[in-house]
Amino acid sequence: MEEENQQKDEKIFSISDYIKIVNQGLKAFRSKIIGEVSEVSFGPTGHVYFTLKDEKDESIIKCVIWKYRYDIYGIKLKEGIKIIATGYPEIYAPWGKLSFKSEVIEHAGEGTLKKEYEKLKEKLTKEGLFEEVRKRPIPKYPQKVGIITSKQGAVLADFLNNLGRFGFKIKMVDSRVEGQAAIVDLLLSIKILKKENIEVLVIMRGGGSLESMLAFNNESLVREITGFPVPVIAAIGHHKDIPLAALAADCSVSTPSIAATVLSRSWEQATLLLEKHERGIVDFYGDILENVKINLRNSWEKSVFGFKSLLSIINQQLEHAEKVLNLNNPERQLMLGYSIASCNGKIVKRVKDTKIGKNIALRVIDGTIISKVNKIHPVK
Amino acid sequence: MPKEKPDIKNLSDNLKKLSEITEWFENQEEVDIEESLKKVKEAAVLIKAGKERLKAVENEFEEIKKEIDIKEDNGNEEDMKEDIPQI
Repeated sequence: MEEENQQKDEKIFSISDYIKIVNQGLKAFRSKIIGEVSEVSFGPTGHVYFTLKDEKDESIIKCVIWKYRYDIYGIKLKEGIKIIATGYPEIYAPWGKLSFKSEVIEHAGEGTLKKEYEKLKEKLTKEGLFEEVRKRPIPKYPQKVGIITSKQGAVLADFLNNLGRFGFKIKMVDSRVEGQAAIVDLLLSIKILKKENIEVLVIMRGGGSLESMLAFNNESLVREITGFPVPVIAAIGHHKDIPLAALAADCSVSTPSIAATVLSRSWEQATLLLEKHERGIVDFYGDILENVKINLRNSWEKSVFGFKSLLSIINQQLEHAEKVLNLNNPERQLMLGYSIASCNGKIVKRVKDTKIGKNIALRVIDGTIISKVNKIHPVK
Repeated sequence: MPKEKPDIKNLSDNLKKLSEITEWFENQEEVDIEESLKKVKEAAVLIKAGKERLKAVENEFEEIKKEIDIKEDNGNEEDMKEDIPQI
């Protein structure tokens, strides 16, 4: 071991290599530091250089934050404000000075956070970002749903358990949701889901303090939500102050299970409506069948009555004809003792219909009598 | 030339002819015995055929009615079966 150190001691590094090695080692000192901003300057490329001062013994450390991160957090660095910076120390090779490379900056102290929250809320309210009129309705019967939340914790399980089986196609992006550091993840997740074919976006996290909710009170996130191509549901738990992201969302609910219900509500209603219509159609068709049965029965009964009446009329006609014929039947006269005389096949009605000497056939009821005309006495 | 036999199977035609005959009798002022006898004979045939046809029609109708009534009864029984609660 001692021999090893001796060998190292003897190795000679270039300044550049040495700074690289040192910076590598300094990454292990990644921390959160709190202090008062005492000097602020903006570089030509927009990076921000500032000094953080210890409030007790006035120790200082030079800090830097790159422009793109500075813009995200929405904090205006100026002398006198107290902030927490998350990052690690690094030697800046061209100057040979140590500075704290800040990845995250946030206001320190509940009072300041609350003040900043109210200030941003007022600004965005004035811009009309939270107005009801600009909120878009959540689409009915949604299928393609985008989700941004953390895979850790019960939020996702709670949401999925209450979603119901309506064929949802879910695209989920895992994101940090805790503290100011989550903002980069959240913005990246939104960027990813913007390109996806979804009908609605759900952003979720459980409840927490104002400090833990910092990312959801971020101006960039609020603007991303209001400008998101499809409606956004925010299911962000909170204690007192409603997160600005929730105010900006098209629909804000307090728990993931309610968010799931919002998505499945129209499907539930449609299911009930279908069942109702199904029952209605069955009942309606049953009524139609019953009416058809009744109509058929009525028609049949009317037909039977009509036909019977017709038969009766025909019968009466036949009976009438029979009576008329009986009355007018010449044979009926024969029964009474009258006879019908005929001469040469013709009925003798008058004396001129025969002559003396001619044969006359007398038709009586049970036969014909042939007789000869001897005398004719016309009736005067 | 043989006399054309009247078609006595058609009840409607028979009734029409009978109606014409009875009308003829009712309108007769002077009795034409020869014609009367002819008409009586013709009418007798028509009445007999008419009665037979009427009976046949009645029987056929009763058969159809019976069939319809049986079908309707079966239908009602089916309906009643549907009404019986399944245990």
